Amino acid sequence: MIVRIDSAEKLTALSLDNVKHSSVPLPNPIAAASTGRSNRTQAITDLAFVNNRVFVAGLSNEEFSSALRSIPFPFNQADTGANVEIWHASHNRFETNSPIRTFLPYKVNNEDTILASYTCTPLVKIPVSSLKGGAKVKGTTIAEFGAGNTPLDMIAYSREGKNFILMSNTSRGVMKFSADGLEAFPPITGSVPGKGGVPYETVASLTNVVQMDQLDAQRAVVLQRTASGFDLHTVALP
Amino acid sequence: MLLAGARGIAAACLLLLFQSPSIRFDSSRSLFFLENWTDLATVPAERYADVFSVSVDAPDVPAMLGQYRVEGKALLFVPQYGIQPGVRYRAVARLPGMSPITSVVDIPKTVVKPTTVVDRVYPTTNLLPENQLKFYIQFSRPMARGFAYEHMYLLDEAGAKVPVPFLELTEELWDPDGRRFTIFFDPGRIKRGLLSQEELGPSLVQGKSYTFVVDKGWLDEEGNPLVADFRKTFKVVREDRKVVDVKGWSIRKPSSGTRNFLTVAFPEPLDHAILQREVEVFDSSGKAILGSVSIGAEEKSWIFTPAAAWKKGSYSIEVGTTVADLAGNMINRPFEIDVFEKVDNLARKTRTIKFNVE
Repeated sequence: MIVRIDSAEKLTALSLDNVKHSSVPLPNPIAAASTGRSNRTQAITDLAFVNNRVFVAGLSNEEFSSALRSIPFPFNQADTGANVEIWHASHNRFETNSPIRTFLPYKVNNEDTILASYTCTPLVKIPVSSLKGGAKVKGTTIAEFGAGNTPLDMIAYSREGKNFILMSNTSRGVMKFSADGLEAFPPITGSVPGKGGVPYETVASLTNVVQMDQLDAQRAVVLQRTASGFDLHTVALP
Repeated sequence: MLLAGARGIAAACLLLLFQSPSIRFDSSRSLFFLENWTDLATVPAERYADVFSVSVDAPDVPAMLGQYRVEGKALLFVPQYGIQPGVRYRAVARLPGMSPITSVVDIPKTVVKPTTVVDRVYPTTNLLPENQLKFYIQFSRPMARGFAYEHMYLLDEAGAKVPVPFLELTEELWDPDGRRFTIFFDPGRIKRGLLSQEELGPSLVQGKSYTFVVDKGWLDEEGNPLVADFRKTFKVVREDRKVVDVKGWSIRKPSSGTRNFLTVAFPEPLDHAILQREVEVFDSSGKAILGSVSIGAEEKSWIFTPAAAWKKGSYSIEVGTTVADLAGNMINRPFEIDVFEKVDNLARKTRTIKFNVE
């Protein structure tokens, strides 16, 4: 459901009964027909619209793998998009094909890029131009944001000619880092221990943020987890 | 339901005498009625919410979402979401020129003896590799969604909770029936070279024992707790970084004219869910053999019962390469690929095992 909340905190539900819409099924591979049905499902972890394509990141309840689906928009029956497998290197020399937890379309050095973050908090950049159906794409890890943590959301904003990204996390608060010059960070593939790549600061005033969006040039709307539920309010962009 | 005893009767008497506006809750249809209000026809539909609203009976809560409808001379409020047992609701009518009319409705919680249990946690073996990837929790009945992570934990040998062993996702991973829950171990503590593993260490340590607990406070779809806590105690063995190799599998063949099992046995337990859907049998003309699959003890065998008797001839078993072991290593792909080593055949989708029925 979609709810509108105005500045007087009045809630109005948006009726979806007769709303104009278009849809596309996300193909879910089914079980071998000879032996019965499958219990495989995909949970959508994030989605975004970039250059007339809808990108959908998902996580299967059976396989641990990436499924970033790229679907042309407006939706059409003939092309329901294709899966892209994305690999990224961890600190040392191992690559995995992990599910993307949250991602943000962003122009890095004027190139359309997906900045993706994973369940164990690397930040990976992937050129949109490489996301073609059936492709196996290698993302470039440009930051490691720490242990025991899952990223939840990312937003980008500008202030006084400088660009920033905020990332909310399960256990490491909200991180702020500069979005300028992301192309300059070398890929993290070495075996140097500790955090690496893009430097960040933790925004002390923002805790337990599960979702964020930019409201205007100065403010963001944040959803914060509290002891009794969730609070939705506006905060100044840090 | 509506008001208690004497007050309810008094309200009913007043209603008969003066036909003054009143609120009624229809428990069989879960609808709130505002009745006997003669000015209803003068109020435009967009103002219904201003004159008649329903909320949970608590301070500072917004009105419930729902739709309004006129039925006869009554205004109805149809809640968008079901009325919850054990919750007290307050319906208020603010009619022009009258003092507000309030009605409080207690929805009794039906006390039901819990019947839902954890049938099983996969893998069923009690020896798990240090890089165990996930558990499937199979419940006997559909469960309520949204509360999973509060109701499961991992204890070490001393009975202390292991900190953050699992991956907690906003979207819970249920099967379509809501009976099987998938919980991944935090992959950051499995994958080598990541900060999580370097700072916190792995969640599971070789040689030690752990107990996975599902507490009975986890509610089923009906809102009832589980019959009892579920505990699975297991010992951790060395990590498994090897791909699954069908060369090590053995086949027990059935005889023609029977509907005996075809059994494929593996040297190690495999992922229960993926195994069920990723193995198929074909005859020599490439036609799929219909039948039913069961998974043997400790997920170390795949057992196929054909719908019709076996015929003499050659058959092939097609195995999808996503079949995985307990650590998520697949047939053509280890959980992690060492970039300094060459990995072949990433694109192959199935492996074939041939056999003959005599």
